[in-house]
Amino acid sequence: MSATPRPELVVDGLPGKRRPRWIELATSADHKDLARILVCGALGFLFIALVELLLMRLQLAIPENTFLSPVAFNRMLSLYGGTAIFLFALPLALGLFYYVAPLQIGARGTALPRLGQIGVALWAAGATILYAGLLYTPSEAGINPLAPLSELTFLSSNGVDAWAAATGLCTLGFVFLAIDLLTTLRNLRAPGMAWRRVPVFAWAATVSSWLILVIGPVLLAALTMLMIDRNYDGVFFAESGAPLLWQHLSWIFFSGAYMLILIFALGAVAEIVASLSGRPLLNRGTVMGSMVAIAVLGTLAWMQNMLTAPIGLGWTYFAMLMSLALIVPFGLILFNLIATMAGGLLRMRAPLLFAAGAVSAISIGLAAELSHSMVAVGWQLKNTTDATAATHFALVGGAVFGGFAALYYWFPKMTGRTMGENLARISFWTIALGLLLAFGPLFLAGGFEGQVIDAYKFYGDAGVSAYNLVASIGSVILAAGIAMTLVNAIQSRGNGPVAGHDPWHGETLEWLTLSPPDPHNFDVLPDVRSAHPMRDIRAAIANHTQRREAPAGERQPVA
Amino acid sequence: MTPHSPGTDQIDTLLWIGFVASAIVVLAINGALVYALRKSRAARGGEPRPLDGGRRIQFRVAGALTLFAAAIFVVSVIFTEKASETPASGAAGLASAEGEPLTIQATGQQWLWRYDYPNDAFSYYKLVVPVDTTVELELLSTDVVHTWDVRELSGKRDAVPGKVNRIVFRADEEGTYEGQSATLSGQSYASMQTAVEVVSPQAYEDFVEQQKADIESAQDRVVGLLEKGETP
Repeated sequence: MSATPRPELVVDGLPGKRRPRWIELATSADHKDLARILVCGALGFLFIALVELLLMRLQLAIPENTFLSPVAFNRMLSLYGGTAIFLFALPLALGLFYYVAPLQIGARGTALPRLGQIGVALWAAGATILYAGLLYTPSEAGINPLAPLSELTFLSSNGVDAWAAATGLCTLGFVFLAIDLLTTLRNLRAPGMAWRRVPVFAWAATVSSWLILVIGPVLLAALTMLMIDRNYDGVFFAESGAPLLWQHLSWIFFSGAYMLILIFALGAVAEIVASLSGRPLLNRGTVMGSMVAIAVLGTLAWMQNMLTAPIGLGWTYFAMLMSLALIVPFGLILFNLIATMAGGLLRMRAPLLFAAGAVSAISIGLAAELSHSMVAVGWQLKNTTDATAATHFALVGGAVFGGFAALYYWFPKMTGRTMGENLARISFWTIALGLLLAFGPLFLAGGFEGQVIDAYKFYGDAGVSAYNLVASIGSVILAAGIAMTLVNAIQSRGNGPVAGHDPWHGETLEWLTLSPPDPHNFDVLPDVRSAHPMRDIRAAIANHTQRREAPAGERQPVA
Repeated sequence: MTPHSPGTDQIDTLLWIGFVASAIVVLAINGALVYALRKSRAARGGEPRPLDGGRRIQFRVAGALTLFAAAIFVVSVIFTEKASETPASGAAGLASAEGEPLTIQATGQQWLWRYDYPNDAFSYYKLVVPVDTTVELELLSTDVVHTWDVRELSGKRDAVPGKVNRIVFRADEEGTYEGQSATLSGQSYASMQTAVEVVSPQAYEDFVEQQKADIESAQDRVVGLLEKGETP
């Protein structure tokens, strides 16, 4: 053949020189780039949330401290809540879903990449607005700004408006990301990957996305009403309206978000346990079904947060029934996770260590929530620091332990390098100790002495001074432990040991492609025949090598 | 917390049941976790055991968990119902309140509690009630959500503007019980405290009469000053 150029090879459009990396990243609609923005941003905001937590704990270290003024404390509290939920936990979960789930199902991208791009942009805008509030006056209305305190009559600065706009934009962004994820998971699965073969983490992404589609608009509606109340003389949540309406709508969202973070963590733990114990997850079907049950029941239990409100006793029983019903799906998932570990050959690497920490911390948090859901007990323990401790055990277990387990596990896929193992271990034990010391004493202060939540000070004669001092010391340790993993991630990004495409001998398709994957994710895709395609591929390769190497006379029969 | 009312007696018992149930859950899960981790370390060097998939085990576990949840639900409903019963006033209680609970309005406002007694007397911060008498508090709010919380006497309840919430208790011993508001209500939330002073029926009658007389004389004085054209 002559040397004529091949017509199918288009070279005209290739850029001569690439634009700077940050512009590439900021304008990319690739799910991996968008997810990296979300995950890096979420980890950055985790650091900021820790600073806010430490400032509040410093104020509460000794009785009647004057380190922070009441107004400054309430502002910290409001910022901390918004940051921890909307800028750290939810985007970390969604970011990892958004990175990993399309790879796990063998998709070459997401179905609606521009929608995902808008989602991330909206989230970034929300984050900017929340912290732009620092330039004038942040919200003082608390973690969940209960109406009517959040109404214009009682808080007339723009802080609450900024809070509402910020969380609203973030939520809208999450909804867009969820739509993109759902469409991708619905339409772009590799040939042969039926729903029953979808990896557990990708299934957790599906359930979480549906959950966001249900609870996101509920919060958006509530925020819209709050904005109308504050800026256009509305009376939705005023005394002449329905102050309890805000509680119903916001608690539907926050209960659902709580469940989302736990579903995310359990999904990641399931993948890690299966990979690092060398055997498939026991009873995948049960685990996947239980995730759906958690999403539904956990959201329906929203009135668990309103046991002391003027609502009928029957409603509180309904809330208690839904919360207690959660025992079954959570119990089944934990049973199968632990049973999978029990018979496997565990490689006790960092992801598995953090996964075990997640299971342990979540179990403590949920066990405490169990007694809070018993109505008469809730009358005593709601709005005490006992509730703070329960929520923090479950959510630090889910978002920090679970999130870090996922980070250690998928970091090699995202960067091509493994995170440092020794620092990971030190970080793990520091976080574990810090969590126990920071929130363990608050169980006692709330349970025995009834110390109330969200208060900027306590009195010396209340009998809670020692508990609070220990909790303040513990939160410093907790923050140090978390900072170690953040440093580990930054360090390992450029200097960690090169990981290769499949460092953990994973079961799912993301380990088939390069680390980090090319923009198009996969060159070729296998025909998926089971729930663990990589296991099948490795078996096929072993089989093939064995046949080639075995002498002709002893050739094994092909099964 | 030492319970000082029939309702809080029930709550206290249920609290301990809840604590035991939670402790069982924590110990079971973490025990199993540690066992699984140790066992698999001991098995190092072997092959992973094939999975005993066991649909039957799943059903058994699910069944046991359902029973556990159902038992907690039933016990909780029983104790909650008992805790929300209205007890009858005792023999040592206020004679005039026989059969009917003594109804007092408790109004939360930023950042103080106001108590309105049946004879139109009122007091701020401190609530005075007769011992061994059934007291019904009507919780109201003039501004934001407040939570009335005196642990020895009752579970906490929210005072929501535009709504009426109820608390019923019967204090069994004279004394002062401290309480704190338990929902973030703004700047001075942390110092929004209250106290319930439980006294003998006679002392209660004296207190409300004295309070009423004091209020009326103060009002008369102010009205008198205003009529004379002076600013009080």
